[in-house]
Amino acid sequence: MNDSNEIELRDVLAARGISRRQFVKFCSLMTATLALPPRYVHAVVKALDKTTKPVLVWLEFQDCAGNSESMLRSGHPSVGDFVLDLLSWEYHELIMAGSGHHAEAALDRVVNECKGNYICVVEGAIPTADDGVYCTIGGKTALDIATRVCSNAAINIAVGACALDGGLVRSNPNPTGALGLSEAVPGLTNLVNLGGCPHNPVNTAAVLVHYLTFHELPELDQYRRPLFAYGNLIHDQCERRAHYDAGRYVEEWGDEGARKGWCLYKMGCKGPEANYNCPSVQWNGATSWPVKAGHGCIACASPRFWDTKSPFYDRLPKVPGFGVDVKAEEIGWIGTGVVAGAMVAQVVGNIVRDNIKPKDTDGHNHPPAN
Amino acid sequence: MNRAIHAAPDLPWKATTPDQVRVYVWEWPIRFSHWVLVITIISLSITGYYMHSPYVTARGHEAYVMGWMRFVHILSAFAFLLGMMVRLVWFFLGNKWAHWNQYIPITKSRLKGFVAVGKYYGFMAWKPVAYIGHNPVAGFAYLVVYAMVIAEILTGFAMFSFVVGSPTLKFFIGWLPRLINIQYLREIHFLIMFGFWMFFIHHIYTAILVSIEEQSGLMDSIFSGFKYVPEDHLAHDLAETDGPEEAAREAAAVSASSHKPAA
Repeated sequence: MNDSNEIELRDVLAARGISRRQFVKFCSLMTATLALPPRYVHAVVKALDKTTKPVLVWLEFQDCAGNSESMLRSGHPSVGDFVLDLLSWEYHELIMAGSGHHAEAALDRVVNECKGNYICVVEGAIPTADDGVYCTIGGKTALDIATRVCSNAAINIAVGACALDGGLVRSNPNPTGALGLSEAVPGLTNLVNLGGCPHNPVNTAAVLVHYLTFHELPELDQYRRPLFAYGNLIHDQCERRAHYDAGRYVEEWGDEGARKGWCLYKMGCKGPEANYNCPSVQWNGATSWPVKAGHGCIACASPRFWDTKSPFYDRLPKVPGFGVDVKAEEIGWIGTGVVAGAMVAQVVGNIVRDNIKPKDTDGHNHPPAN
Repeated sequence: MNRAIHAAPDLPWKATTPDQVRVYVWEWPIRFSHWVLVITIISLSITGYYMHSPYVTARGHEAYVMGWMRFVHILSAFAFLLGMMVRLVWFFLGNKWAHWNQYIPITKSRLKGFVAVGKYYGFMAWKPVAYIGHNPVAGFAYLVVYAMVIAEILTGFAMFSFVVGSPTLKFFIGWLPRLINIQYLREIHFLIMFGFWMFFIHHIYTAILVSIEEQSGLMDSIFSGFKYVPEDHLAHDLAETDGPEEAAREAAAVSASSHKPAA
């Protein structure tokens, strides 16, 4: 695409003030995130040194740009710094200098000239209601752009909950008919979903590094999410797990348990039903993550989490057909009470019947025959 | 399945009334699965409710309350599964009173009986309808219970597959979390527990009621397997399901074996 293809990565990094030591540390982080043995660090360093800056386009549809922000502000030096230098970012609305027709021309050029060789990252949901008019860029609908760009990409990476399955945009009642990339453009076989609200940039970088090193996608689960990031329950990696097993729980915000860092299970933490590597990779240069900061997990990396994991501060979802304030346990206890009451009424009724029945009705009837 | 049903010899310490015969109704797998389900439903409810909403405050540095609750719950779950599997097998290998067709009121006589029993419970009849096995309403209630047991097993093991990540378990149950979100599986699993409690209250009540009204040793029968039923009643029961010829043969066997010496 441009002259930077011939410039060595270490020179580019040096020009940005990133030392060789920091680069190797980044490679170690990537290797560890991918759950590869340490001997692979060498392979990753070698492969990244030799990359010839593959082209990357970053498409934004119905989004809040939160995933772009997460990528760009992840630490010092940020994961984004490395990824920006490893790849040639030809199109990314949030950060590109060009605008209008110039920007769209850049995207067209990538699709036409690098067909089958570029990496496509998708952020945001894709509306399908009313012919997709709810999100258009340069007069083309998100669906048209995604179909054209993603179908010709070497690999597609859907970042964030909205690109995974529609996320917030798709949550009930979904007026724009929003869908995630895998449903809006079915049949993409080279797709990696990186759910999360936002995606964790370390995981996204790790997928890119895995592709640049091994020229294939990491192993995926049934939602096409990489197993290295979505293979384990949050609950099993949580630093508050010991309090859960012991039986020490935060009962209300700000109580003794909250101050002592006890388990947030009773506050509706969805860690026990969420798969993500949030507790181990963490955020902002691995300083913290939600549960460490004292708030329960909302399972933001799980499919359809707005609809299926809410209310975020209750253990269980609302029971369909009952009011929003009615909890499952209230329904259960009231139902049990009603049955107990009915049985008491039966006992009274039987005592009355036994006392008033005529003399010749002792004994019992035979079952009716055919 | 069609093993010969006959009256058992009387017990020396337990007198029957002159017209009653002692019949082996509930075979050991039925009683085994019954008591396994009783014990596990109690232990699963106590531990399961804690797992939903921890009601014990842990004290001390060596507390492991949730850990033990989960251990007992998972252990009970496997016993629960075993109990239900034994019962499922006995739907097909057991005697006529344990056979699967006793639970689904689709034959004409079972449907009529369903109405007749319903009338008694609705205070529209003076006399109860006596069945040696389950009456059609009871049978249907147990069908609902067995359905709840199976639903609890499926939802429970689906949640367990999240915890253990076993490929074998995922192979058997992995389809379920794809159909229904894990949170709703959790909710179904929790709500069905109350279904067991409702059934529990109702079951104890009807067991006591029928024991009193029919004087057939119904309460004893879930321990010993034997019920005490009028001789003509057994003949009637056999005629209903086995056809006249076989019933005559069986009735003859019954009267021969239950011959009593004069008091």
